[in-house]
Amino acid sequence: MGNRRISAPSSGKAIDRRLLLKFGGASLLAVSAPSVLRAQAKEVVFASWGGSWEAAMREAWFKPFTAKTGIEVRTVQGNTYGRVQAMVESGRTDWDVVEVLPDFQWIGPKRGLLEPIDFNVVDKSQIMPGADMITEYSVPQVLFSRLVAYNKKLGAGPQSFADVFDTKKFPGKRAFYTKANGAYLEAALLADGVDPAKLYPLDIPRALKKLSTIRDDIQFYETNAQAEQMMSDGQAAIALTPDGRALNARSHGAPIDIQFGLSFLTWSAMVVPKGTTRKAEAMQLIAFCLTREAQAEIAKVYTYGPVVPKAFELLPPERANILSGGPQMQGKAVIMGEKWWGENLSGVTEQVNAWKLS
Amino acid sequence: MMHAVRRHGPYVLILPGFMLLAGLFVLPVGQLLATSFGDPAGSFVHYERILTQPVYLRVILRTLTLSAATAALCLILGYPLAYQLNRSKGVARGLILLCILIPFWTNLLVRSYGWIVLLNPQGVINGALREAGLVESGLPLVYNTTGVLIGMTQIMLPYMVLPLAAVMSRIDPRVMDAARSLGASPRAAFLKVYVPLTLTGALGGVLLVFMISLGFFVVPAMLGGQRDILLAQLIEFNVNQTLNWPFAGALSAVLLVSTLVLYAFGDRFLGLRRLWGAE
Repeated sequence: MGNRRISAPSSGKAIDRRLLLKFGGASLLAVSAPSVLRAQAKEVVFASWGGSWEAAMREAWFKPFTAKTGIEVRTVQGNTYGRVQAMVESGRTDWDVVEVLPDFQWIGPKRGLLEPIDFNVVDKSQIMPGADMITEYSVPQVLFSRLVAYNKKLGAGPQSFADVFDTKKFPGKRAFYTKANGAYLEAALLADGVDPAKLYPLDIPRALKKLSTIRDDIQFYETNAQAEQMMSDGQAAIALTPDGRALNARSHGAPIDIQFGLSFLTWSAMVVPKGTTRKAEAMQLIAFCLTREAQAEIAKVYTYGPVVPKAFELLPPERANILSGGPQMQGKAVIMGEKWWGENLSGVTEQVNAWKLS
Repeated sequence: MMHAVRRHGPYVLILPGFMLLAGLFVLPVGQLLATSFGDPAGSFVHYERILTQPVYLRVILRTLTLSAATAALCLILGYPLAYQLNRSKGVARGLILLCILIPFWTNLLVRSYGWIVLLNPQGVINGALREAGLVESGLPLVYNTTGVLIGMTQIMLPYMVLPLAAVMSRIDPRVMDAARSLGASPRAAFLKVYVPLTLTGALGGVLLVFMISLGFFVVPAMLGGQRDILLAQLIEFNVNQTLNWPFAGALSAVLLVSTLVLYAFGDRFLGLRRLWGAE
């Protein structure tokens, strides 16, 4: 790694003999004493969800960050809450920044797993206000949503959540994410006439009663890839799925349309596990990712919305239109009550499982 | 050193394996089980929750029955397969082995997606059946218990076939000739001589399949329906989502104890002990 860093300046230039000797010597040194060099090169470890998302972050965030600060970003995968807990409890924190779902903003601190965010370094003034997006221990990373996608044979498709639960008007299977916080309980309550402003705390018995009315038409999916498959081959007439997955399925030829108005807005968050030895670098990286420019860059290469509203000004309108938090969702998207979920996930899951088994 | 090995031979030889097992398995599992009793609200709160919330007992029962059904299906499908494997030679034998082992080397998720592609109502099998005019709408082969059993049986089949084939290969073919020459019909010779000789292999396979199946969660989660919740899914949820490790520990303890109880029953009535050669 040290090797690549050192030889980088020579790329694109004509290499003369002296330069070659110099760098050759340096890289020999790098090979012979890698540990010394690594100790000098500043580094920060980012635990990511991997795949194409990580590749997008590398382009939009990590490379420019390294160019600006000289701090390398090393990524690791296999990011689960369980591993964060195991790491902190064993006293060996190897991860510096972890991307998590918002329930961890409350689950993590409750178990003493997180460092407070240094808001002297991280500017929170530009972040979208409200909805518990910022806590003492976390900042939002990007916006995404769970929204309604429907098969084109349903014509104009469902116009309301009541339509989603109307299997006479729109026959066919409904694909919902299997976890209790997959937004189908919220959708059921809205379909049953609950005021969106008074959604939380969720009335679980009422939601389950509404779900029971379409029970045989519900197909729970375990992974997002499965949801895409269900949309692509028409197994599901209507799906409540992450926006990125619906967009991806549609651009790969799935016969679906997307109802941006029927969406639940949520976000991913960045946290710093307790006991990291590179806290300062971690805060620097987080601060960088939350600049208006960095937020616009990630939104250009991946279908997640920026958490900094001003970043939308840097995006072409056709891009802004398909993103979470963008114009098509303004005033319509329901914001997920993630704080409530962080506190109630366990109990509600028990109730939902009981319903599934009944 | 050599002297020590000779004197304490068996003990010295099992030491590395024992230490590995103790350090990497017994200790962490013991710790997890200990935390399950360590709640400030009382030692048994987690167990009380398991026993009073009907969800958990229902899931445990379902886990046990699905695992037993998988073991039974593997035995029914695996027995003839092992028999044929044992009788075949050369290329045919290699091909059968390959067919058994290739799924073994394939990632669980990939296999589950494969099954969904084949089995779903718009999938390959239902498409072919509709094309042939055999069914009108698709058969419900996946997103239900059928799907779980298909997926689990395929994955577990090698665990049944390999021990069975090993036992079968040790049967002296002349035993069957002797039975025939003493007047047994082929059927009687098979049922009264061959099958009893393979019983330990069959029991070993059943036990192996059953016990491994208890820990499944990817396959039932993907191929199952709303009611196909297995205990490992709930353990995983408590470990990785809500970080309630004490409760996960309690769930694991209940699973462990029910397995041991079943094993004790099996030992009492089926003589499982014979499997390990401790007659």
